[in-house]
Amino acid sequence: MTITNQDLQIFINAIKTSSNYDFSEYSDKSLKRRLAKVLIDYKMEISGLISQLKGNNTFLEQVVKDVTVNTTELFRDPNIWQILKYHVLPKFKNQSSINIWHAGCSTGQEVYSLLMLLHELDLFEKSKVYATDLNNDVLQVAKKGVYKYRFNINYLDNFDKSMKENPYNYEEYNEIPYEKYFTIDKSKDIIKMNQFLLDKPIFKKHDLVKDGNIFYVKFDLILCRNVIIYFNYELQNKVFDLFYNNLYPNGYLLLGMHESILGPYASRFDKMGQFYQKKEMFTYMP
Amino acid sequence: MYKAIVIGGSAGSFQVVTRILSSFSPNFNMPVFLSLHRLKHVRSGFLEALTMKSKIPIIEPNDKEQIKPGKAYLAPANYHMYIELGNRIALSTEEPVHHSRPSIDLSFITASNVYREKLIGIILSGANHDGAYGLKKVQENGGLTIVQNPKDCQVTTMTEAAISLAKIDHVFSIDQMADFISKLK
Repeated sequence: MTITNQDLQIFINAIKTSSNYDFSEYSDKSLKRRLAKVLIDYKMEISGLISQLKGNNTFLEQVVKDVTVNTTELFRDPNIWQILKYHVLPKFKNQSSINIWHAGCSTGQEVYSLLMLLHELDLFEKSKVYATDLNNDVLQVAKKGVYKYRFNINYLDNFDKSMKENPYNYEEYNEIPYEKYFTIDKSKDIIKMNQFLLDKPIFKKHDLVKDGNIFYVKFDLILCRNVIIYFNYELQNKVFDLFYNNLYPNGYLLLGMHESILGPYASRFDKMGQFYQKKEMFTYMP
Repeated sequence: MYKAIVIGGSAGSFQVVTRILSSFSPNFNMPVFLSLHRLKHVRSGFLEALTMKSKIPIIEPNDKEQIKPGKAYLAPANYHMYIELGNRIALSTEEPVHHSRPSIDLSFITASNVYREKLIGIILSGANHDGAYGLKKVQENGGLTIVQNPKDCQVTTMTEAAISLAKIDHVFSIDQMADFISKLK
């Protein structure tokens, strides 16, 4: 099934008039593909889909969920989590509180990954972790913290690399049992996060395109991984503006493994590997 | 006359990819897109291994990175790689296609939409059907289709699937492939 530019435009307009969602600055390659998949899955033509969208809010929410991408893992890209553990989070050790925003958290795996690191570093109690996503359904999954086991056995490898090994000292090996943080039930085929982790984050629905900062605090660290790849260049810059304005000076931004700041905001951050640190700005007073 | 090359390969393709990369002439000046399946746990080292004998620089691109001629873009592990209008690459973490991420089909289809008849599509040794549909799109848009000779492949599933689905312009042995590549500018 091929989606024309016109089909896509009609779809974007229909969503925009019937809801608060605005996909007009999304990257169209992937949006077209997702829309084609939705039409096949629902066995519908574009015209049928459009008329259903108007006036059927449940259906609209479902479609929004289907056209946005929600893949995530526990400790996806272990190297990143090692840098976070050994180089970034320790910088907050002497602060009385730490504010972290996980923007586009999807089903929450990386929110819990972060919490485990904070706990290992004794920073758990003084951290406030805010996690947001565009979509309510994925947030419900995130709140429950229950994931399939057999599909996700690589979570355990990722955990071992990120939590047990120290890449800067090969002789160090921390024997941290999985049970400290989650329970594996093979008969039910699930991995369930432990209660103290579930109780910690504040999950909220939030649209990066237009909601701004809904928490009225500034952040020491913002994680936004594999979200902006679905935005076009202009929208990416708007999101960088939002992040820049809501980070403390010297605060950190972590993007996905292959995401980077290419435009005007590049000069306002120092790049250290995958991490961006907000530069301290000095105002020149003549 | 051609403006870009897109190459797909899976199991058993490492050697032939290396051979292709080492065959480019000094005045070769097109972008090359490599969509190669790799073992789940081999996330690093692959780029370095490919780079060793390559005549052109190989990059694992970032999202929205500008495409430059004379460079090879390797789809990063665990991402689909799209070629976009406006000369940029886009990455995606959408679910795997044919159990694969990167998906060869997706790189081929999007490259074909951009470069049309100016694209060369090459399918190499591999153990699943990924790439066959993509190569068909290359052909439908007037591009040149090339498949590694199944007799030369360690695993023939992928090349046979491509041959049965799309009209193929050249079925090349590894030597013929290298010879063809060396004449491109």
